[in-house]
Amino acid sequence: MTRSPTKMAEQERAAFRAVELARHPGRPRTLQVIAGCFSDWTELHGDRLFGDDLAVVGGPAFLESPGGERRQVMVIGQEKGRDAESRALRNFGMPHPEGYRKAQRLMRQAAKFGIPLICLVDTPAAHAGIGAEERGQAWAIAETLITLLELRVPVVSVVLSEGGSGGALALAVADRVLGLEQAIYTVAPPETCAAILYRDAGQRARAALALRPGVATACEIGLVDELIPEPQPGAHVHPEMVIAALRGSLLRRLDELCAIPIEELLAARRRRYRHAGG
Amino acid sequence: MDALMDRRGGLPLPHRRFAPRLVPAPGPKPQPVAPTGTVACKGCNRRFVTERYERALRVCSLCGYHGVVPATLRATQLADRGSLHLADFSDVEDRDPLHFNDGVAYPKRIAEARAKTGLREAFMVARCLIGGNPIVIACMDFGFLGGSLGSAAGECFARACEMAVAENRSLVAVCTSGGARMQEGIAALAQMARCSQGVSGVAAAGLPYISILADPCFGGVTASFAVQSDVILAEPGARIGFAGGRVIEQATHDKLPDGFQTAEFLLAHGMVDQVVLRADLRDTVARLLGVYSR
Repeated sequence: MTRSPTKMAEQERAAFRAVELARHPGRPRTLQVIAGCFSDWTELHGDRLFGDDLAVVGGPAFLESPGGERRQVMVIGQEKGRDAESRALRNFGMPHPEGYRKAQRLMRQAAKFGIPLICLVDTPAAHAGIGAEERGQAWAIAETLITLLELRVPVVSVVLSEGGSGGALALAVADRVLGLEQAIYTVAPPETCAAILYRDAGQRARAALALRPGVATACEIGLVDELIPEPQPGAHVHPEMVIAALRGSLLRRLDELCAIPIEELLAARRRRYRHAGG
Repeated sequence: MDALMDRRGGLPLPHRRFAPRLVPAPGPKPQPVAPTGTVACKGCNRRFVTERYERALRVCSLCGYHGVVPATLRATQLADRGSLHLADFSDVEDRDPLHFNDGVAYPKRIAEARAKTGLREAFMVARCLIGGNPIVIACMDFGFLGGSLGSAAGECFARACEMAVAENRSLVAVCTSGGARMQEGIAALAQMARCSQGVSGVAAAGLPYISILADPCFGGVTASFAVQSDVILAEPGARIGFAGGRVIEQATHDKLPDGFQTAEFLLAHGMVDQVVLRADLRDTVARLLGVYSR
């Protein structure tokens, strides 16, 4: 690896451009994917404990195969918003504890009705704020992880654009995890990593190079199973194409998973996460 | 003459020669020399004779500040005398998936942490008895790269959980950590799931799991196994949360409330079961397990 300063700087810039591409506002967002992949989706609001977090949406729907066969699913996802107004409303896709508790409620509901769960991940991180801490952000995420590990229905997760920190993992513990090719999936957003490692959030490009945040890295260590191809230069040029490809993958994965007896599926899920991350 | 007499004893003070030095001496400023065999409380700076401080479990008798306790000492403090047997996890492999280098190569950082702490990883796992109850104890060491959770540490905790299930022991985890180990990137994030899987296994076996949160406990550790226990105990004054206070202040520009994220604050918000003095931890764990393990 070359160590010349200009070359490094160039590599760092390229690495951060990839992060910016993954954050491109034109990439398919959760609500768009729901509209494109599913029919009869009914949004269910609220965690029944404190409030309704608009950064997390969810509800039951049908996933239709090209043959016309309709499969019931529960869909939960993180929504970043499209324009300035909706982004603020959705807190830039950063959920509060209420969001994770709403997700848990819907997960349990999916298990009650025995319908597969589909999680759409698109968040820079879980929200960092006073209220979030007071209401137990860490507790909400930890409980969601356990809920997914023990959920007695097939689970498929999709990393749409950005998956950051435990806030993303809370919806990405699944039997199969898919990722759009140019998405990023990281332990924390590059800005946070830079603040922790170099004590300077301004060095985000350096962190972006060092962290290899591309979803391909997660694929290498087995945390993601399949990459959904994107057109060049990215999904934002033809989001509908990517959504169609994603729908095809979801159908294939659900066919595959629903054929496996639930005890076997749970044992495989346990093995998978017992050895997660090498 | 009175001015020369010491008010306490009446003995004359030694004569002072006034020779004010106006020019500072060359070289580094002389630091006050700490008396040997003493240690300062991080809370109030008062110095204690080391032996006395250790006997008090590193808790300040003046201000009550609970000092940092390394993993092995922690296990010794909690375990019944002579019952502690360390588990040999020396075959757990180190990983460096990103070939991370922030000026110092990551494997070198691990080697340094090992030399400093005498531990192989941020987790120390042992079998022991607490109040006669058979336990697997997993203690984190904040001195080992900030107690951060990487693949090897995650594997240690997962094995601790399996050991508890295989040997029908209760699980006690002492958690103190800055969170996921950034140097391992996404593989570190995966450890949250791996550790949660371990906890799930312990729960499925019907075994009690008690976590003890010590200062500080943040990020991916708090957001997984630290709070997935049956009982969450916290040490007084310990700072516990998901995002650190400084991060929150920078991100939101809100003024943090007094005592934000302390153990007492979390108790008031219903997030921990009890705030327990370090001196009472062993008895509390023993009492709980005495009830649960029947």
